[in-house]
Amino acid sequence: MSDIMASGPTGHTIFALALARIGRWGIFSARAARLTVTAPPRAAWVIEEAFRIGVGSLFIVCAISFFIGSTIALQGYYAFREFGGEGLVGIFVTLACVREMGPIVAGSMVAAKAGTAMAASIAAMRVKGQIDALEVMAVNPYRALVAPRLIAALIALPLLVVFADFFTVLAGYLVAVHQLGVNPGTFLENVRSYTGMTDVLYGMVKGAFFAVMICTLSCYQGFYSEPGPEGVGRATNRAVVSVCVVCIILNYILSEIMYG
Amino acid sequence: MIEYIKVSKSFDSLRVLDDVSCTIPDSKITVFIGPSGVGKSVLMKMIVGLEKPDSGAVRVGGEDIAALDERGLYRLRRKMGMLFQDGALFDSMTAGENVAFPMRRHTRMTEREIGRRVAEKLSLVGMPGCEEKYPAELSGGMRKRVGLARAIALEPEIVLFDEPTSGLDPLMADAIDDLILDMQRKLGCTFVVNSHDIPGTFKIADTIGVLYDARLIACGERREIMRSRDPALVRFFARHRGEQ
Repeated sequence: MSDIMASGPTGHTIFALALARIGRWGIFSARAARLTVTAPPRAAWVIEEAFRIGVGSLFIVCAISFFIGSTIALQGYYAFREFGGEGLVGIFVTLACVREMGPIVAGSMVAAKAGTAMAASIAAMRVKGQIDALEVMAVNPYRALVAPRLIAALIALPLLVVFADFFTVLAGYLVAVHQLGVNPGTFLENVRSYTGMTDVLYGMVKGAFFAVMICTLSCYQGFYSEPGPEGVGRATNRAVVSVCVVCIILNYILSEIMYG
Repeated sequence: MIEYIKVSKSFDSLRVLDDVSCTIPDSKITVFIGPSGVGKSVLMKMIVGLEKPDSGAVRVGGEDIAALDERGLYRLRRKMGMLFQDGALFDSMTAGENVAFPMRRHTRMTEREIGRRVAEKLSLVGMPGCEEKYPAELSGGMRKRVGLARAIALEPEIVLFDEPTSGLDPLMADAIDDLILDMQRKLGCTFVVNSHDIPGTFKIADTIGVLYDARLIACGERREIMRSRDPALVRFFARHRGEQ
């Protein structure tokens, strides 16, 4: 073992470490999920967290969605113009935004804003001994810290996806119609024909999956933070990186299942 | 009564406790003294089940802590309070909310009763009227006092103090020692204190346990320890008096 450490981590040790971390995160998530169901947290804590996650991320989700929608409309227009299909930009915008970009924008903004806040605040509590204090006061930290955030994220994120869908398509419409001169009737007809409630619902389902990932990964990183201020920073950094990677992969898998 | 029976604990290859056995009497102040990093905090955390021994057992009121399930552990923890090194107050709550926290969680008291009890506990620790202050607005000594008020909020049978005077100036450390003595007289419960402060230990302890090099080199009544001619103890006190 010491030889291995002396010569630096090998592929096997990195794989074993990664597997151990995934296992620990799995146990952490299962414990949090069990407590969320068997001993649900107080409604007041859930509402407070849902407000923090939902309302706290609403402006940034809408703003980013607006510019993502605008960019997609621009790119779609220039790509379709090559073969005279400018009118198809509505289909491109609505499919790309409602099926993919809406959930991804909402998920990544919640990960960046609420996820990092979760990781940092829980890591700070760990470093300052406050999680131990909760345990000593016979308060289960999973129930007090993770369960309210999990339920709140499950409520807030699917709703944020709907906002993201709306603002991406709205921006796409405004750019396509008012800047690029696409016929508004054609654009709206394409939106109506190629997107249905199922697409919006699938997006919300994706949002729910992202909510679980963002919450459990961020809380997990905070919970197992290393000591000191550096530990808090590292936990926050790990949270946002792991959430982004996992959500992008998960999005691909869900898209394949839903639309494949 | 709290009993340590042949308790050993290691973290990776570092042995922090080696075959520690002793009994902490009820309704007295027991102080574990030893240099930093000797395993005092681990010993204390075993009482509340935050750490488990690798071998041996820790019994509280006859119950083996390591053998308890989650529910049993939480039941036992309700009989205990703990003051952490820097108070471990929740930053987002005021001092009053911190003290009220265990009452809101574990009792059916009305908000008016809780408010009265909070004011009473804060007065008891010499912090009357500071209910609305946030931890960031309090000094280190004040945070410890509020932490103590929170630890005794549910009137526990056992109160644990992890280095209550560390990081404080000598005057404030002396005031905290006086507070511990005063509180124990008023509440009459079992106090367990971790310390590296020799004069403070001799001032407040009824029973003293001396930890050195992962072992409990002595455990007995204060007078017994103070008068001991055991060469290991004499060396320990001489060395650490010199250091302090």
